[in-house]
Amino acid sequence: MTGFRIGLDIGGTFTDIVFLGADGEIHTKKIASSVDDYAQAIADGLDQAFRESGVAAADVEELRHGTTVASNAILETKGAKTGLITTKGFRDILEIRNLRMPRLYDLRWEKPVPLVERYLRITVDERVNAQGGIDRPLDPEDAGRAVDRLLAEGVEAIAVCLIHSYANPEHELTIKEIVQRKAPDLPICISSEVLPEIKEYERTSTTTINAYVAPVVAGYLASLRQNLDRAGVTAPLLLMQSNGGLTTAESAGRLPMNIIESGPAAGVIGAQALAKAVGLPDIVTFDMGGTTAKASLVENGEVTRSIEYQVGGGIMIGSRLLTGAGYMLKVPAIDLAEVGAGGGSIVWIDAGGSMQIGPRSAGASPGPVCYDTGGTEPTVTDANVLLGYINPGYLVGGELKLNAPKARAVFEERIAKPSSLSVAHAAYGAHQIVASNMIRAIKAVSTERGRDPRGYALFAFGGSGPIFGAGMARELGMKRIVVPPSPGLFSSFGLLYADVEHHYSRTLRRLLRNADLEELNLVWDKMVADALEQLAADGFPESKRRVRRTANMHYQGQTFELTVPVPDGPIAEDTVAALEEAFGAEHERTYGHRAGTEEPVELVNAQVVGYGLAERSSVPERFATAKASQADRTPSRQAYFGPDMGWVETPVIGRGDLDAPRPGPCIVEEYDATVVIPPRSEAALDAYGNILIELP
Amino acid sequence: MTEIRDPIQFELFKNSIFSIADEMALTITRTTYSGVLKDNMDFSTAVADAQGNLVAQGLTLPGHLGSIPTALEAVMRHYRDDMNDGDVFMMNDPFDGGMHLPDIFVFKPVFVDGARIAFAATICHHTDVGGRVAGSNASDSTEIYAEGLRIPPLKLYLAGERNETLFSMIEKNVRLPVKVFGDLRAQLAACHIAERQLHELVARYGAETVIQYMRAVIDYAERLTRAAISELPDGEFSFEDWIDDDGIEFGKPIRLFFTLKKEGDSICGDWTGSSPQVKGAINATLSWTKAATYTAIKSVLPNDIPSNEGVFRAIKVHAPPGTIANGLLPAACAARGLTGFRMLDCAFGAVAMWLPDRVCAASEGGATGVTIGGYHPDRTPFIYVDFTTGAWGGRPWADGLDGNTNLLVNMASQPIEVTELEHPIQILAYEFVPDRAGAGKFRGGSPFRRDYKFLEQEGILQVRSDRRDFRPYGLYGGNPGKPSWNVLNPDIENRPLTAKLTMDIKRGDVFRHEMAGAGGWGDPLDRDTWRVLRDVRNEMIGNETACRDYGVVIDTDTMTVDEQATENLRAEMRARRGWKDLPKVLREEWPGTEEAGEPNHENAQQAMRAG
Repeated sequence: MTGFRIGLDIGGTFTDIVFLGADGEIHTKKIASSVDDYAQAIADGLDQAFRESGVAAADVEELRHGTTVASNAILETKGAKTGLITTKGFRDILEIRNLRMPRLYDLRWEKPVPLVERYLRITVDERVNAQGGIDRPLDPEDAGRAVDRLLAEGVEAIAVCLIHSYANPEHELTIKEIVQRKAPDLPICISSEVLPEIKEYERTSTTTINAYVAPVVAGYLASLRQNLDRAGVTAPLLLMQSNGGLTTAESAGRLPMNIIESGPAAGVIGAQALAKAVGLPDIVTFDMGGTTAKASLVENGEVTRSIEYQVGGGIMIGSRLLTGAGYMLKVPAIDLAEVGAGGGSIVWIDAGGSMQIGPRSAGASPGPVCYDTGGTEPTVTDANVLLGYINPGYLVGGELKLNAPKARAVFEERIAKPSSLSVAHAAYGAHQIVASNMIRAIKAVSTERGRDPRGYALFAFGGSGPIFGAGMARELGMKRIVVPPSPGLFSSFGLLYADVEHHYSRTLRRLLRNADLEELNLVWDKMVADALEQLAADGFPESKRRVRRTANMHYQGQTFELTVPVPDGPIAEDTVAALEEAFGAEHERTYGHRAGTEEPVELVNAQVVGYGLAERSSVPERFATAKASQADRTPSRQAYFGPDMGWVETPVIGRGDLDAPRPGPCIVEEYDATVVIPPRSEAALDAYGNILIELP
Repeated sequence: MTEIRDPIQFELFKNSIFSIADEMALTITRTTYSGVLKDNMDFSTAVADAQGNLVAQGLTLPGHLGSIPTALEAVMRHYRDDMNDGDVFMMNDPFDGGMHLPDIFVFKPVFVDGARIAFAATICHHTDVGGRVAGSNASDSTEIYAEGLRIPPLKLYLAGERNETLFSMIEKNVRLPVKVFGDLRAQLAACHIAERQLHELVARYGAETVIQYMRAVIDYAERLTRAAISELPDGEFSFEDWIDDDGIEFGKPIRLFFTLKKEGDSICGDWTGSSPQVKGAINATLSWTKAATYTAIKSVLPNDIPSNEGVFRAIKVHAPPGTIANGLLPAACAARGLTGFRMLDCAFGAVAMWLPDRVCAASEGGATGVTIGGYHPDRTPFIYVDFTTGAWGGRPWADGLDGNTNLLVNMASQPIEVTELEHPIQILAYEFVPDRAGAGKFRGGSPFRRDYKFLEQEGILQVRSDRRDFRPYGLYGGNPGKPSWNVLNPDIENRPLTAKLTMDIKRGDVFRHEMAGAGGWGDPLDRDTWRVLRDVRNEMIGNETACRDYGVVIDTDTMTVDEQATENLRAEMRARRGWKDLPKVLREEWPGTEEAGEPNHENAQQAMRAG
């Protein structure tokens, strides 16, 4: 029994652990997270998992980890006491942000509290111009005084972001040296190293976030390593980044800004890997839990990434237009659209007579009415129970008894009567409206970018995702739904399927047609060399290092960029022409129009990704899933599939029963999720243990 | 009124139609060329029904709410049934449905089987539409004919064919045709996306149902609006405020007078009593006045009421023709943005008399417009258009926001580094100015300062600002904010400038704008001492201000409040002040606390002439 890899996913509530053996053997463990010291729960959980599974610590080859420790530090403003040094005249960039707010007509709006309070923001008298020239040299003594002031205030980290430092880092480097001289152990982050890109607010905010979480993440990683060592696990620790790639613990400690959204990324990567294995290049991932639902797009086997996002920005609806809700972080992240819709979302009728779902949620406490733990308002989960989708007696596994009659009474009183509908129709309506809210998330990553979802398969996971997946797919005209094994623990599996990735970017802002080819080659070659060097340092042999170059461009004058791949080989005249054409084609595909050839295209950022490939295929060929017990399962129950179909006697089965294809309707009950296979569809297992649902 | 028969299908339809408007807006943001659009986001998108009633407005600019129906009405009046599949309409004439010339509307009627079922609508603020001053924004034009190209409702496309005449007329009359056409392309793309998605909705529900549901979405918003209004007390409340001047007749204040009458489930907002229209370019169109009024009232209604025609049915707006709130030809109106912001302040004042605990004191006075234009040595033009807003009045429950967009718009700032890369301009400062916010139990937002250094040989600077003479008022005992301030070359000649100006500048000149501080809310002597301490430590206020305005005594060495000394000082100040009731509105500090030495208009004017 060797070659086990471990996926560890920490959420605010639960820590999920998955052991995957080289032969496909799987063990899972779900335990409550220890909020005071997350590393503790991991040590305890591993300990229990080792005992239960018989796997020895020495058998562990690799440990992969997704964590919310960094994002929690930001959301709860419990990061380091951080000092920020900026150019004279620009003390308040971090606080003024970009002025916009995420809600219209809302006098109650409050801006997120700046991560560095004003008295810890100090300016230095210097100025670099837009071309990188020094208009006003930095006086090292002035800089020294600024550093002294911050040290006297007892800061635990320092961030530096000077105007135009992406074009000339000299002054930032000087300040870094001064800090290192005066306080050798203090974390210091300078923007020209963290994010050498134009736009001062984005750069300042990103650099500040990095400094703000650095001590927290470093402490966490050290504690985790200690706990692992104590448990006898000597395997290397890799962390999931927001961009979906893994990174080493060392690199995560240095650039913790890259691991802020590491949890949600893992699910998307898992779906991407499984989809590739089963030969589906184009998928939409759909991950629905208790409070939110998230969608993302995988195209030609590649995940889509956004170049920036807002930490704590909350719910998607409208947020792509109404930005400013959270903390701006400009690092590549898997592009997720999120809506506040989950099993706990409350169903209500508004003053205008329309049915609404959320944004309030009954959460875990008081919980849905059917939990009988004090909840008095109908929720999405109650609707799913009344529709017969969720087992009305108990949540599978039997740990939680459900009170379906109580849910029915509340639904009748609050929803059905006021809108003159039958309970079934009202519950079905609630189910459909939640689905339509979540469809907005799917549209945000597909139609809003000019992608037609009908050409994509829907990958549904998370505790509630597989209940809604097939119905939503039908609404969107999608034909195929994939529900992976252990959908409720899927994020932990996703960790096991990821590759190591390092991202590099340099702002150029050159008109493509006048570009200096020598410069372009120089810039890209340097980043490629850096990437390869980092991968070598990570321990990847030459044959396992891959590099990909991309160009981030727009028509001169635009603000939003589109990214196209850069062909291999030295950059020559024809490469530039090809890039210009590729950009025009991408613009047309995304927005439905392109400018004439006379319009100059500007190369904004040159980008490189270095990949460290795993030794062997990370997706096991066949999951050795334990057969679920059939003993306490009723063979069928009534489920409601809309006014056309009405109530239908629906078989209740286990995943294993789909060995041979079956027509819908049927319901698959598993320990961590329920899968609804609707009428007029067909479902079967594929070679990887996925449930494939086909719609006509 | 259309009843909602099937609340589920209705909700699904409503989500779809609003997501169309949002998707249009995203398309414009992502593909547009001008800073004023891509960063300031001065545009709106909407879907209207076949009669031109607004069904869904995208999540963009509150100040445009109400503008699209007025513009569509003009298109309908001109073209009636002369509309065909593939037609696209364009217009900007303020006296024929428009707002001001830079705001170009593009509409596309959407047809199904030969019948019109809807309109896709967009409005974008363009960088330049010609006229005497680059940016077409000047506040000192005195007639519309100086302000740029005036476009009545015309067909930009006829049944899918480009109207080359119109395109070439525009090309020859604007300074930066590449930007204008790039932005027009973004508007067209947004309309195409809306058309495609409306067709998908029709394929799904059938044309009849789509038409019926569009009506239902409007009725639904009306029901929500009326239900919310019904819960508020009846009554009539007026408020008065003044714009400094029109930039032509300096020192002559312009009166705004607003009366809010609430009865049952409807509200009437009336601007009767406001000044006659003025010579300078700050005359509002009725549609702009409506938008400001809707914004004030919507801000005290529940936040989730959809923005459409249904809201307008419950909120009537009246403004007599020939006034500043409803200008008539040949009124100049390019800088009318200013008047809208000030009307919002004025309308909020009336709401504060009606619902004292629901609205903020006066904000900074709205977006200051700074335009710098001219020609490079090779005679190619440059135009930099910047709008900046950012200080909210103190609120009955919290401080006014520091560095946050004014509620009438939802503008973002243009990144300094991008500005410097694209324009012959260097920004030398963009930061809060201490001691300028109105004191209060909840203080007003702190204003910021922006310093613009000009790097090209010569150019024209044009500025639209206000709140110099008439300061942002404080409410219920809160102090007014400090006035705005414009200066040329602060570190050398430090020459005061007027609030509205158009002037020549040369290489190396530095223009400084300090926004007005926002008004405070509530008695400053009731402010929590920890808040005062925090502001002192953060250098948002000086220690003297803490003493003089708040009666708080702070030891700055230890950064602690001397509670006993504070209690004594506050008691002494209360006695000296002798208030029985808190003054509802304060436009100047109460006597004895005012700072001396604010330069006034005459100084600025004389200094300008001298310079």
